Amino acid sequence: MDIVVRAAFAFAFVFFLTRIVGRRELSSLEPFDLIMLIVLGDLVQQGVTQSDYSVTGLVLAAGTIALLQVAVSYLNYRFRRVRQVLAGEPIVLIEDGRVLEANLARERLTRGELEEGARQSQLDSLEKVRWAVLESSGQISFIPKQ
Amino acid sequence: MADQPDGIVLRRHRDLEGRFWGPWLRRALLALVALVAVLALVGVFGQPPSTTSAEAAPARMAISAPGAVRGGLLYQARFEIRANDALNDATLVLNPAWLDGMTVNTIEPSPVSQASRNGNLALSLGHLPAGARYVLFMEFQVNPTTVGSRTLRAELDDGEQPVLTISRRLRIFP
Repeated sequence: MDIVVRAAFAFAFVFFLTRIVGRRELSSLEPFDLIMLIVLGDLVQQGVTQSDYSVTGLVLAAGTIALLQVAVSYLNYRFRRVRQVLAGEPIVLIEDGRVLEANLARERLTRGELEEGARQSQLDSLEKVRWAVLESSGQISFIPKQ
Repeated sequence: MADQPDGIVLRRHRDLEGRFWGPWLRRALLALVALVAVLALVGVFGQPPSTTSAEAAPARMAISAPGAVRGGLLYQARFEIRANDALNDATLVLNPAWLDGMTVNTIEPSPVSQASRNGNLALSLGHLPAGARYVLFMEFQVNPTTVGSRTLRAELDDGEQPVLTISRRLRIFP
């Protein structure tokens, strides 16, 4: 049934979008981001189920998406090189109090955003950071100096 | 230099060795998404109408309809006929591609009669005196499972006698 194909395409397209949009854009949920997330979900739903209001349609679409999610998760777990492509890799942003500006620019991050992240981790100065790493989830991990 | 956290490889995660292409690939893919949006803005994926016309000695006909539509969308086809000579039994004959996988919501004004003519839909419009202008609106909806490209043919007949034919392409995006 074409609903399976549409669900698979929607999954692949949303996955593709999340990979190219950039991890920082997706990691923070400001009110606007939350609304856009809901709107995006609605748009995707319309493309997948269209005018199908049946329980069968629900089972097919949700089942397809769940199976693909498990498949991606398995590929991430099983193959390191696939994981690098599907999930991304961490990037070091601060080393021993020194901000790596080139790495910041690569992820379109400002120093202000880095400082905000540090404050949220109870660090009042970037100089007190031993390591800051932008994780593949989009969160920034701060490891303070001893 | 501080010892790096577990799982961090400095050459790859700090110096970004082997990762130079990453941002460029991301930009290229974003450009691809932007290109699709630009193509949509210029109407590639539907559904601005375009007009196709044909003329013969007894009459002239123009069809205004989209050349591209998408699953589930409503659209209109407008048929304008100008009779140069009187047409005793003006009949619009549409090939099945007009209707296959489509829902016809309405035809206005309603034809005098409808019939199948060799598998085509024949809409009898009645008598058109010389100089008359007749406009027929057909409102369609694309069935969500319909995709592909097809040739639409519309023939204007006077009774069983063909007067002119118009062919158009219709692309249906999923």
